[in-house]
Amino acid sequence: MSEPGSLPPKIMEDGPPPFLGSWKRVYAVVLLYLAVVIFGLYLFSSFYSL
Amino acid sequence: MRPLDWVVMFCWLVSIVSYGLWRGRRSGTVNEFLLAGKTMPWYAMGLSIMATQASAITFISTTGQSYVDGMRFVQFYFGLPVAMVLISATAVPIFHRANVYTAYEYLEKRFDAKTRALVSIIFLIQRGLAAGLAIYAPAVVLSVVLGWSDQVTTVLMGTLVVIYTATGGIKAVTWADVQQMMVIFAALILALVVAVNLMPPGVSFRDAVTLAGAMGKLRAVNTHFDWNDRYNLWSGLIGGAFLALSYFGCDQSQVQRYLTGKSIAQSRLSLLFNAMAKIPMQAFILFIGAMVFVFFLFERPPVIFHPVELGRAQSRPDFQSVEHRYQAAFDSRKQAATALLADRNDPAKLDRLRQTQQDFDGARGEAIRFVERTRGTAAFNDTNYIFLNFVTHYMPAGVVGLIVAVIFSAAMSAVSGEINSLATVTVIDVYKRHFQKSGSDRHYLWASRLATVFWGIYAMVFAGYGKGFGALIEAVNMIGSLFYGGMLGVFVLAFFFKNVTANGAFFGVFAGEAAIFAANRFTGISFLWYNVIGALVVIATGVIISAFAPAKNPKSAA
Repeated sequence: MSEPGSLPPKIMEDGPPPFLGSWKRVYAVVLLYLAVVIFGLYLFSSFYSL
Repeated sequence: MRPLDWVVMFCWLVSIVSYGLWRGRRSGTVNEFLLAGKTMPWYAMGLSIMATQASAITFISTTGQSYVDGMRFVQFYFGLPVAMVLISATAVPIFHRANVYTAYEYLEKRFDAKTRALVSIIFLIQRGLAAGLAIYAPAVVLSVVLGWSDQVTTVLMGTLVVIYTATGGIKAVTWADVQQMMVIFAALILALVVAVNLMPPGVSFRDAVTLAGAMGKLRAVNTHFDWNDRYNLWSGLIGGAFLALSYFGCDQSQVQRYLTGKSIAQSRLSLLFNAMAKIPMQAFILFIGAMVFVFFLFERPPVIFHPVELGRAQSRPDFQSVEHRYQAAFDSRKQAATALLADRNDPAKLDRLRQTQQDFDGARGEAIRFVERTRGTAAFNDTNYIFLNFVTHYMPAGVVGLIVAVIFSAAMSAVSGEINSLATVTVIDVYKRHFQKSGSDRHYLWASRLATVFWGIYAMVFAGYGKGFGALIEAVNMIGSLFYGGMLGVFVLAFFFKNVTANGAFFGVFAGEAAIFAANRFTGISFLWYNVIGALVVIATGVIISAFAPAKNPKSAA
């Protein structure tokens, strides 16, 4: 049990992501993925607009 | 609902409450009750964040919106991945290192008690309103399917949620969300498969997609910029990013999710999982709505989807002429759709189908105006009943029960997350900060449980006002947009403007809220831009006030 009315326990320090080596690369992949998804939806819209 | 549907629905509801209670059985301290002892893995947090946001409204309203307006609503989510990246890089490590229960606790560390109190109150007001709407959604489902009154269904839903949330805290909420999201994914796939299989003989999946595209229902991206257009690429990317920044960066119902992470990396992964999964999921749900639209090209839909209003209108003799016109418009549209499939390269047949759609919309509009006129209602909207009508009338036994159960559980996950966060802010930012500063851990644990019960009851009472809103999902986002801009602005000041003073932040919030309400009252600007306006006004005001009246001993960000 924690102390009465205590603050939440401290957690471990910032660590690297489990893949791609750095968080900056992970963020870049997410933003690239967004661009691909938007472009894919744009193509989808255009293809089926008769 | 057939007997098998009742069995499926009952078993699911019992299992979700039981599973939540079992998972949350060891929440014996405030830290475990509010932050799950900071033990949560990324996938549980990620699914819980998704479940809290994807309420029953998602299924009831988004599919209906796609039926009426096509898939362009998906653009609303384009800014979400951008926001998730920014929050992962900034807010997540700052909140974790500040060692707080709530996002607003951090504001006192950075500014002062009055800024924390102001933002906490804004959160309690707007999230309290949203919780009422979220609990109203399943009341809509039950009132349609079971014929019960909204009040009965609201109390039933609210009571189930309060039982496992007040007992197990955020652990119960999070793990129940995980279970719910797994079944939600399965039910979505099942709904699409069944919808496509229900198409008449001779209409393939490719034909259905072609027809949906021809009718503009698959137009997902609009690159044309217009301030007054709710959903285009730019409002989605910029306005949507600001709204998502506010929601995931400043709203305790989301911040509390990733504060339960066992490390900063796990919290970041949970947000980035949402960044990648949200748009495909919403596009999929909207696509289901488009397929329902195509299904109703060949199967006559009711002129009014709200069953009670339809029955009321049909009891009046003067409604018959409206129904005759609607039937004729449906027959013409069906013929035109069949003709286009026979020769899809003939532009004349495409024009003919679009013309018949206009006639059909005109006939339905006449019926809606009839309801408005006879009921004395200013703006009647039956969008939320479209998908429900399709599910209950055309889905096979068992699947109906599963989808209704999924809608229930989606609502329960949203409401449980909201009342859990409302209780946290009430106890940590209000009760413990201003009224009882030195209670025991057990005292605050029970205060948290009582606050959960209070907010559950509040949400049930407020749910009674849900009828006054149109498409529910837009209503929730609209309410959020009235308040989120001010909240986002003050957190941006806290994170990035080291010289801004407590007074600058405090009065900046007032200025930002004034700007948002002025934009809402006096302009036609789409609500997605309110967050941008509010945040920018808060930042500008905070910087100007701080420049003219700097603090003697300014605090810095954690």
